[in-house]
Amino acid sequence: MNEKKIVEIRNLIKDYGVRGFQTRVLKGIDLTICVNDFIAIMGPSGSGKTTLLNILSSIDKPTQGNVFMDGMDLSKISNREMSRLRKDKIGFIFQDYNLLDTLTLQDNIGLPLSLSGVASKKCIEKTEELAEVFGLKEHLKKYPYQLSGGQKQRGAVCRALITEPKIIFADEPTGALDSKAGKDLLECLTMINEKKNTAILMVTHDAFCASYAKDVYILNDGVMKCRLSKGNSRKEFYDSIIDMQVSMGGDFV
Amino acid sequence: MNTMKLVTQNFKRSMQNYFSLILSLAFTILIFYNFLNVIFTDTFLILGQQNKSYIDSIIAVISIVLVCFMFCYIWYATNVFLTKRKKEIGIYVFMGLTNQKIGKMYMLETILIGITAYILGIGFGVITTQLFQMILLAISDISVEIAFRFSLEPIVITAAIYFIVYFIFVLKGYVNIVRSSVLDMISANRQNEYVKTKTWILVIKTIFGIAILITGYQLAIKEGKIGVMMNMAVVMNIVVATVLVIIGIYLMFGGCLPFVFQKLADNKRFLYCKERNLWINSVIFRTKKNYRTYAMVCVLMLCAVTALATSFAMKERYHKIIHFRNTYTYQVLSTRADMQGQLEGLIEQDNDIVYQTALPILVVDASLFATDFTQRDYAIVKYSDMKTLAKEIGEEFVYEELKEDEIIKISHIILLSLIVDRSEIKVMINGKEYRQIEDTNTAYLGYLQEQRSFYMVNDEEYEKLMSLGQQLYMYNFYIDDIYNFEASRDELQGVVNNSGEDYMGLVVINPHNSDIEWIKVMYSICIFMFLVFVMASVCILFMKLYNDAFEEKERYKVLKKLGFDSAVLGKAIRKELRVAYVCPFLLMAVSSYFSVHSLEKMMNTDLGWINFVSVAIIFVFFLVFYEISVVAYRRNAGVKE
Repeated sequence: MNEKKIVEIRNLIKDYGVRGFQTRVLKGIDLTICVNDFIAIMGPSGSGKTTLLNILSSIDKPTQGNVFMDGMDLSKISNREMSRLRKDKIGFIFQDYNLLDTLTLQDNIGLPLSLSGVASKKCIEKTEELAEVFGLKEHLKKYPYQLSGGQKQRGAVCRALITEPKIIFADEPTGALDSKAGKDLLECLTMINEKKNTAILMVTHDAFCASYAKDVYILNDGVMKCRLSKGNSRKEFYDSIIDMQVSMGGDFV
Repeated sequence: MNTMKLVTQNFKRSMQNYFSLILSLAFTILIFYNFLNVIFTDTFLILGQQNKSYIDSIIAVISIVLVCFMFCYIWYATNVFLTKRKKEIGIYVFMGLTNQKIGKMYMLETILIGITAYILGIGFGVITTQLFQMILLAISDISVEIAFRFSLEPIVITAAIYFIVYFIFVLKGYVNIVRSSVLDMISANRQNEYVKTKTWILVIKTIFGIAILITGYQLAIKEGKIGVMMNMAVVMNIVVATVLVIIGIYLMFGGCLPFVFQKLADNKRFLYCKERNLWINSVIFRTKKNYRTYAMVCVLMLCAVTALATSFAMKERYHKIIHFRNTYTYQVLSTRADMQGQLEGLIEQDNDIVYQTALPILVVDASLFATDFTQRDYAIVKYSDMKTLAKEIGEEFVYEELKEDEIIKISHIILLSLIVDRSEIKVMINGKEYRQIEDTNTAYLGYLQEQRSFYMVNDEEYEKLMSLGQQLYMYNFYIDDIYNFEASRDELQGVVNNSGEDYMGLVVINPHNSDIEWIKVMYSICIFMFLVFVMASVCILFMKLYNDAFEEKERYKVLKKLGFDSAVLGKAIRKELRVAYVCPFLLMAVSSYFSVHSLEKMMNTDLGWINFVSVAIIFVFFLVFYEISVVAYRRNAGVKE
């Protein structure tokens, strides 16, 4: 891989708990994410998926090791720079959408841009453009409670994309959706990845969901157990993920 | 864990959460207790029984206002407890507790909170009674030794009223819990589905709000026509105006404010500018829930400004009345025209005369007069005499020579007068109609001016009217040391007693006379009410925002997850809270102009500056509380600096 690196994780270790009663959740993770990557991280409950994502999105701090984002060491940059990094380079998608219920869908989508001080005309154009792409054009004036789960999640994707981030962190994005809406969303993510070259790091425990990624890393007990790469078809990839799950044993849901 | 243990544990936790609420409940009790205490102690007895009973009745009226206030406050406080606790209480349902048992727990907890507030309030109340009375007397400019007196009645009465009101609402909460389903309890704290109010409803509310407000303003400053039922009509005007303004304020906050902000939010080009997207939407959301609070705050502030203006008007009026009465130290009324020299000689034996006047007055039988208000005694004076008199005593006299059908009423100062249109008043004397061109209350004739209705006519007219009544002579003296009035009294009384055939009367003014001292207490109480109202309004607003912040916590958590830094969110919070403070303040400032203007007319004085000062004081209070609110809000919403 000679593509440009966006995120580089080196020997990442994370401990929880007080001194003497510590649990090592991440036991030395190495991972590199480049432009155009679509990575899914799978693993059973308690394997450290969320912890990894939290550290990457700078909500949590590592005990040891380094995370480089766009060449900058996250442990060394100031809060201001960190916040700029999150605002400009990273997009977030959460399991429970996290749209603000007091804002219309359009206001929600435009929020990151308008808060960064981008001209209102451009904000409006971009929200409409993204809504068009994600089939939300006629829902822009609605409030989140008036939307279905799938629409909300697509709205959240629009919000994540509006700043044109280099990478999107998605935490169980289909977790709260039915299978149809989930499938639509994953197709959207694939499209973003292919057309806009946005890297995606998705955490999931669902094999079907993971099969949309280009690479799947299996995280278990704090270590990356293995990596699977997509071959020719998604179907085959899905089967190989399932096989891997079966081979890894019982606690893998 | 038994129920009591749970209750005490919850109570301890709620002490921390609701500290501000408990404190303000305690504050209400403190104020109420202090006022009641004034009635039950005899500090003001020094001013005489008459004054004491006036003061007591004023305080009784204010106590009623305070009870109403306490009622609203407890209502609000228990409501906050209820919604906040319902969610936690819901968890107990899953532990297998019955609604009744949970209701009982809520009751016990809330009663514990109530008792804490009471103990705090009364405790500090007892400590501060002396301070309270000292402040009251100091502002009233009355010097009395205050001894610490403790009486049980106010404590008992405060407890009775407070606990009755409190218990009613606790019971209401209990019934609410017993009747609610598990789902209600769990979702009590969940965000309501948010809908914008329909624009046409807002437009209607706004139009009605503006119309009602303007009608209210107009009525407040409307002058009643002199005539039958005039007093009733004017009082009705003021009552209706008050009601209309209150309704108007509610409609403005329920209609106009959300309308403006919804329109702003619809204009995306305006909205998508930095933090606007966030705070304008928040304001829309909050206004829907909080507009009653904003309206209440606005009304309370309006009461505050009016109270302060009343206070100053009272003070000014008091001094005017005192000045009025003390225009002369001695006033002698006689049928004899040649007394001045004799009286002057007698007075100068013991006192120095600063100025003296003498003039004839024509006492006319009341049956010959036809005026709007029938008086007992009437007298007529000459224009030229009055002009000379005014010059001698140094009072202003701006009237041109009167025409033969013109008349000026010389009346006295009363505490309150109703707004009336005084333009076209006619006075009939013995069948002839005069136009009353002026009604002055300058103290030309001192104390005697209070005792009868004087009318000034031109000199020829006076001569013509001579035949209608008896001409008396008025001799007025003002001495250098008015407190030495006793010295010449006996000599003058002697002359009056020995006047023989002639009619003679003597008035001696005692500057120590304290029959209107209660007015002074009234103005200090008004100042106090001003502070109470201001504190109440800022506290209510502060608490509302304080509690709102907890609800916003989740939202700000999301925003932080999305990568927005605290500085940006802090700015949005500042702007949002600014709206909550500025809108009630602005509407109050506009409305206060009319309420104070109404008072101005009633008290016949200029209160413009006091309007300005009181609004400025409230502004300072608001500014301070706004800053505190921002800090508290940021902390409660989890947006650290």
